[in-house]
Amino acid sequence: MVDQFLLGLSVVLQPHILMYAFIGVFIGQLIGVLPGIGAITAISLLLPITFHLDATTSMIMLAGIYYGSQYGGSIASILLNLPGTPSSVVTCLEGYPLAQSKRAGLALFVAAFSSFIGGMVGVAVLVLAAIPMTLIALRFGAPEYAMLVILGLLAASLIGTGSQIRSFAMVVLGIALGLVGADATTGYYRFVAMPELADGISLVSLAMGLFGVSEIIRNASRRSPPGPALSLAMRDVIPTRAEARQLAFPIVRGSSIGSFFGALPGTGAAIASFMAYAMEKRVSSTPEKFGTGHLPGLAAPESANNAAAQTGFIPTLTLGIPGDAVMALIIGALILNGIIPGPRLMVDQPELFWGVIASFFVGNIILLLINIPLIKLWVLLLRIPYQKLYPVVIVMICVGVYSHRTSVTDVVLTLAFGVLGYLMKNYRFEPAPVLLGFVLGPLLEDNFRRTMLLYSGDFTVFLTRPISAVLVACSTFLIIFAIWSSTSVRRKSVQSIP
Amino acid sequence: MFKKLLMTLPLTVALALPAAAQDSFPDRSLRIVHGFGAGGNADTVSRIMAEEMSKKLEQPVVVVSRPGAGGTVASGYVSKVDPDGYTMQLMVGGHAVAAALYNSLPYESVEGFTFISTLGQFPFMVAARAGEYASIEKMIEAAKAAPGTIKIGHSGVGSTQHLTGELLGLRTGADFIHVPYKGGAAASTALMGGEVDVIIDTGTVIRGQAEAGVYDILAITSKKRWPDAPDLPTVSETVSPDFDVVSWTAIGMPAGVPDDIADRIRSEVHAALELPGVQAKIAALGAKPGGSSGEQLKALIEGQIAVWTDVIEAAGIQKR
Amino acid sequence: MQSTDQDQPSVARRALSGSVLLAISLAMLLIAWGYPVGTLTQMGPGFIPLVVGFLMCGLAVAIIALDVNSTNTAQAEQIHWRGLIFICAAILIFAALVDALGLVVSMFLAVLVSQFADDQVRPLTALIYACLATLGGWLLFILALELPIPAFWR
Repeated sequence: MVDQFLLGLSVVLQPHILMYAFIGVFIGQLIGVLPGIGAITAISLLLPITFHLDATTSMIMLAGIYYGSQYGGSIASILLNLPGTPSSVVTCLEGYPLAQSKRAGLALFVAAFSSFIGGMVGVAVLVLAAIPMTLIALRFGAPEYAMLVILGLLAASLIGTGSQIRSFAMVVLGIALGLVGADATTGYYRFVAMPELADGISLVSLAMGLFGVSEIIRNASRRSPPGPALSLAMRDVIPTRAEARQLAFPIVRGSSIGSFFGALPGTGAAIASFMAYAMEKRVSSTPEKFGTGHLPGLAAPESANNAAAQTGFIPTLTLGIPGDAVMALIIGALILNGIIPGPRLMVDQPELFWGVIASFFVGNIILLLINIPLIKLWVLLLRIPYQKLYPVVIVMICVGVYSHRTSVTDVVLTLAFGVLGYLMKNYRFEPAPVLLGFVLGPLLEDNFRRTMLLYSGDFTVFLTRPISAVLVACSTFLIIFAIWSSTSVRRKSVQSIP
Repeated sequence: MFKKLLMTLPLTVALALPAAAQDSFPDRSLRIVHGFGAGGNADTVSRIMAEEMSKKLEQPVVVVSRPGAGGTVASGYVSKVDPDGYTMQLMVGGHAVAAALYNSLPYESVEGFTFISTLGQFPFMVAARAGEYASIEKMIEAAKAAPGTIKIGHSGVGSTQHLTGELLGLRTGADFIHVPYKGGAAASTALMGGEVDVIIDTGTVIRGQAEAGVYDILAITSKKRWPDAPDLPTVSETVSPDFDVVSWTAIGMPAGVPDDIADRIRSEVHAALELPGVQAKIAALGAKPGGSSGEQLKALIEGQIAVWTDVIEAAGIQKR
Repeated sequence: MQSTDQDQPSVARRALSGSVLLAISLAMLLIAWGYPVGTLTQMGPGFIPLVVGFLMCGLAVAIIALDVNSTNTAQAEQIHWRGLIFICAAILIFAALVDALGLVVSMFLAVLVSQFADDQVRPLTALIYACLATLGGWLLFILALELPIPAFWR
C-alpha cells in the first residue's frame, strides 16, 4: 500500500498536476462559500475544461473542487448561518453562535483544522482499507439502509437545544416535506400543487430558507450590539491550550464516524456529521453548552464530514460506482477520457487510482495552508455593518437558488421556508432536525418499501440480518437512553428549584 | 472567466478567434436546454455539443439544466419559448416514454417541436453476476421455472430501463419482480451485493464491471448485434424475436422555427458529429454517434411512443 | 400585537404553535387519504404519508399538552414586521423579474428594496449601494462564474 501511495505522490507532485490540484481545491473552496452554489454547479461549469485534460488530471481537479467546497461550505455556515449542504447544517449550530459572540476567527480556525485532520484520516482509511470498506459497503442492502436511517433520525432529534419531543416533531415535519413530489417507487404524484414540485422541494431552497433567510428577517432591522471590535490578532484565532485539549477526542471520534459512514454510497456525509454531533452531545459532561458556540460541537462534525468526503471516494474508485451526483460527474470525466470505470481501475490504471488518492493528501495540505491566512479576510468581512451585508446576501441566496434548477418556484419556496423558519424559531422549534428529516426521510421510505418488496413483507428480516440487527440494537439503546436522561434531567431540575 | 482563464492553460487548446460572422444568425448566445441534473449523461452530451457548436456558430452556446418530472418540465418549457432558433433542447429516449407514461403533458410530444437530428443511439444490456446464468436463455428458463423469484433491478419507475425489463417479461412470458432504485449506479450496487439477480442498463453502468469479470452480459437489447460488441448475443436472436430497444439522444427545437435556421443548426450538428473528438466522446458514453434528418428523428419518436404505450398498458404501470 | 401579559400568555397563545403543527398534519392526512395505500409487500404511495401524518398528529397533540401545562413558557418574540415585509418583497421581486428582465435588473431591485428592512436607511445611500452591489453581482455571476442566466431581457 505504502509503495503504491508513493507512486501516487510521484504522480501528483509533477508541477502541472499539482497546479490543477491547487486550482481545483481553490475554486472549490471559493465557490463553496457562495450560498446555494455548490460543488455540482462548480464541477459542471469546469467540466468542459476536462475535455482537454488527461483522465488523471481531470479527476484530481474535479475531486479537489468537491472536497474544497466542503471547506468553503463551513465558512458560509459559520459567518452567515448559510449551510450549503446537509452536512454543514451542523456546522451552523455551533459555528454561527461563535461568530455572533465575536469569535468567528476561532471558529474558522477550529473548523479548518478539524476538517484537515478529518480529511487526513479519511485519506489514511482510503489507502489502508479501501477494499475491506468496499466489502462492508456491499453488505448494506435495503434493510440495513432503512435501519441506518432510523438511527440517524433518532440522532437528529437529540441535537436540538430544546425539548426532544419538539425536535422529533421537526424531524417528522422534515420527512413530510420530503414526501412532496413523485413517489420514487410508483411515480405517483404526492402533494404536487404545481408541476415544478414534481421532483420535490429543492434541498437548497429548504436550507437557505430555514437558516439564511429567516436569520436575515430577524436581524435586518436590528442594530448590531455594541461590544468589543472583532479581533484580528492571531492569538485570538488559535485556540488556547485548554481549548485544544478539549478538542482532541471529538476530532478523533468525528473522523472515525465520518470515515465509516462516508464509505456507504448515498448520503454518508450528512448522516456522519449529524451522528458525530449527537455523539459529542451524548458523551459530553456539559451537554447544555451545545448550541451556544461550543467548540467540540463544531470540531467533531467538521472532521466527520471531511473524512466522509474522502472515504466517499471508496465505492467510486474501487467499484466504479458513483456514490452521489458529484461522484457521477467525476466518473463522467473518466468515461469521456475513454476509461471505463470499474473494479479493474486499480489494476489497470494504478497511476490514476493512486494519483487521485495521493492528491487528496496533497489537496488537504493545500487547503489548510490557504485557509489559515484567509481567516483574517473572512473575519474582516464581518466588520462590514450587517445593514450593508444582508442585502447582498439576499441576492446571493436568490441567484444561487435560482441557478440551481433555473426555477423561479424554488426562489419563492426559499422565501416561504424563510418565513417558516423565522416563525419556528420564535416558537422554540429548531430548524436543523427538519433538514435531516427532509434528507433522510425519502431514503427511509425508499429502502423500507424496497425491503418489504424484496422480502415479501417480512419484518423479521431487520433482526435476522446481522448488520441490520446491530443497527436496531443501537437505535433501541438510543431511545432508552433518551428516556432515561430526560427523566433524570427532570429530577435534577426539580431539585434545583428552591 | 474562470473557465476562459483555465481554457487557455492546456496547450492543446488553440484559441484561434474566428473572423467576423458572415450572416446575421446567430447574433447572440444560444441555449441548449435539457431536463436532467447537471452531470448526467444528458448534461455531458449537451456540453460536448455546445462546445463544438459555439465554435462554428461563433456565439456562446449555454447549457441550461431545467430538471423535473422525467424531463417533461424542460420539454414543456422549450415547446413554449419563442421559436427564434436560439433555444435548442437536448432530448433523450425519455421524451417518447413520457408521451406514453403521462396522462397529460404541458406540451405536444411530436407536434410541439421542430426535430433537428439524432446525436446517437445506444442499446441496453442485460447483466447478471458472473457465473449466475450461463446465458439469457437459462435466465429466462429459471424465471419460468420459478415465477416471481427473479428480481430485476432498474433505475426508476418509468425509466426506459424499467420498461425494457417489463417488455422482456411480457414478450417471453417470464414473471419477474421489478425492483426500483434511484439511478443505475444504485441498481448496480444492489446487483453486486446480491439484492437483485439481473439489471438492465446502459454500457456505462455495466461494461466496466463486465470487463473486470464481476458481471456477465447476457444479452444486448438492440435488434441486431452492436458493432462495438459483436460477440454479445441479442435478445431478439435468443429469447424474443423482434425484440428491439435502443435509446437515443437528439436535438430538437420548439415548433415553428424557420426552415433556414433549422437547416443551419442541423448542418452544424452534423458537422460537429463528424469530428473524431466528438465521436469518441459520444461513443465513450456508450452510444453509437450518428446524425439524422428531422423526418427520421420524428419517425423514430413516433414509433417509440407506440411501443411504450403498449408496454405501459400491458404491464399495468400506473400512468401519471 | 397585544402582548399585555408578558409572563403568563393565555392558554390559546401557549397552544398556538402546537395547533399550527396539528393543522398541518391534518391537512396532510386529508390530502393523503385519497392516495392508494397498497399492501405491506407492495406498498402504495399513500402508505408512508398516512403513517407520517398520524405520527405528526400525535406529536402535535403532545406538544399542545406540554405547552399548555408548562408554567415557564417564554413569550414568543415580537415579530419584526418591517424586516419580514421588505425581505419578502425583495425576494418576490427577484423571483418575478429574473426570467423576464434578466439578472441585472432583478438584482438591482432586490438589493434596493431589501435595504428598507432597516428602518434607518437613507434612500440615496440605498440607491448608490444597490448600483454598486449590482455591479459586483454582475462581475461575479455573469463574468466570473458564467452562470447560465441572461444578464438582461432578450
